[in-house]
Amino acid sequence: MLREEDKKQIQAQLKDMKDPVRFVFFTQQMAGTCQYCIETETLLKELVEISELLSLKILNYITDKDDVKSLSIDKIPATAVQADKDAGIRFYGIPTGYEFAAFLQMILALSQGNSGLDDILKERLHQIQNPVHIQTFVTPTCPYCTRSAFTSYQFAMENSNIRADVVEISEFPHLAQKYGVMGVPKVVINESHSFEGALPETMFLEHIEIALKKE
Amino acid sequence: MIFDVLILGGGPGGLTAGIYAGRAQLKTGMIERLMPGGQVAGTELIENYPGFADGVAGPDLMMAMEKQARKFGLEIMTGTIESLDFKSAPKKVVASGKTYYAKAVIISTGTDPKLLNIPGEKEFKGRGVSYCATCDGPFFKDKDVVVVGGGSSGVQESLYLTRFVNKINLVEFMDHLNAERILQERAKKNQKYTFYLNHQMLSINGSQKVESVTVKNRATEEAFDIPAEGVFIWVGMNPNTEFLQNHIDINPWGYIVAGEDCQTSVPGVFAVGDVRDKEVRQITTAVSDGTVAAEHALKYVESQEN
Repeated sequence: MLREEDKKQIQAQLKDMKDPVRFVFFTQQMAGTCQYCIETETLLKELVEISELLSLKILNYITDKDDVKSLSIDKIPATAVQADKDAGIRFYGIPTGYEFAAFLQMILALSQGNSGLDDILKERLHQIQNPVHIQTFVTPTCPYCTRSAFTSYQFAMENSNIRADVVEISEFPHLAQKYGVMGVPKVVINESHSFEGALPETMFLEHIEIALKKE
Repeated sequence: MIFDVLILGGGPGGLTAGIYAGRAQLKTGMIERLMPGGQVAGTELIENYPGFADGVAGPDLMMAMEKQARKFGLEIMTGTIESLDFKSAPKKVVASGKTYYAKAVIISTGTDPKLLNIPGEKEFKGRGVSYCATCDGPFFKDKDVVVVGGGSSGVQESLYLTRFVNKINLVEFMDHLNAERILQERAKKNQKYTFYLNHQMLSINGSQKVESVTVKNRATEEAFDIPAEGVFIWVGMNPNTEFLQNHIDINPWGYIVAGEDCQTSVPGVFAVGDVRDKEVRQITTAVSDGTVAAEHALKYVESQEN
């Protein structure tokens, strides 16, 4: 899927990786029912060839029940991206188009063990003690979505109570229906609160704080 | 971090400045609030950028520009600008809590879509109201939509929507379309369009999501509803210059005043692309500005060193 020149550029972008990063990919044998499972698997396989610090573990969504449960996977294709520990970072669907850039940005941040957020924001994130589940719905052709996706990953990196799913919504029409997604990016927090549009980190965090107050 | 040149905003003007400044071996950084690409990144097909006889997808063009700029050493940071000091030396920019210093600054913050400011617009954003066809078009498969604005953006983006939607109701305030003729002809030939020229948008209506819009015929004063599940709005642009108030000269419409050398009222601060006060706003003119500003920034940086 990746051309030689793409690989070179990815290599350059990932040259400052420090710690190993692992993809745990969930698929199923009867891939016919999962539109982009094969493509996603190919993409991840090509990615791990680019850097020695990247590795891939492929699991079966139907048979590897324990992992499905422990990593809270609820649809496929699903990719959990982990550094030394699991920070609750997931991508559902295939990370292509603009989302690929955010995906790489996240890999680099995880590997460096640094979310890149400023200290004031980190402090506020560290104070969150209740579980926060962020679902960011995106499409590959949305240039505004990557910022929301990456911000949610940054938040997850800062606090183990926060987990961040980025969902390529065109692959999961039932979720578009369920959450009334008619525009992207759309962010749903704990099923109780949502907002539309790309926001700066501080405003994104305010929405999390609002969601937690509602509970 | 101290840069020779710091570029604010990553559209075609900013990225071109990045290519030229980087290639001139200046230490060059860019602060971008989203992803590099600017408005072009949300444009499906560009037909008038020289060198691409069959047109080029907006995202592809911008990713290629970004790649080229990175190749020459451009460092791209994500952030939202919070404060500025252009009087100090080096100049200071604070974005998302981080402080950056630069000898020269190139502003390429572009423009954002203008709002209609009618009832229902804010309420239904993301629930039927959209400003980005490439982002949201697929959600309106086989549905009827309203497109507001008969300028080039409105018509071009609505043509992209024709591949998804059932019907396009194009509402234009003036009694004629303002889009480039080639676009007008394509739209007029397409069976999916109904044109409401000389009509004013009054409101966007619905309960949970958009169900209709109310328009007024400006000739007859008659108001009526058009059923639609989506409303795509392209009624012009607003320059992103609020953060520059009291720092550099801005014209009454919010655009940055800068001459042909792209230099603003503050020496060493340049403005390029759509955000600059000028007549023709195109990718090609933004690219031109980026080139000119980078050359002058180089001269400025050198003059500061001597």
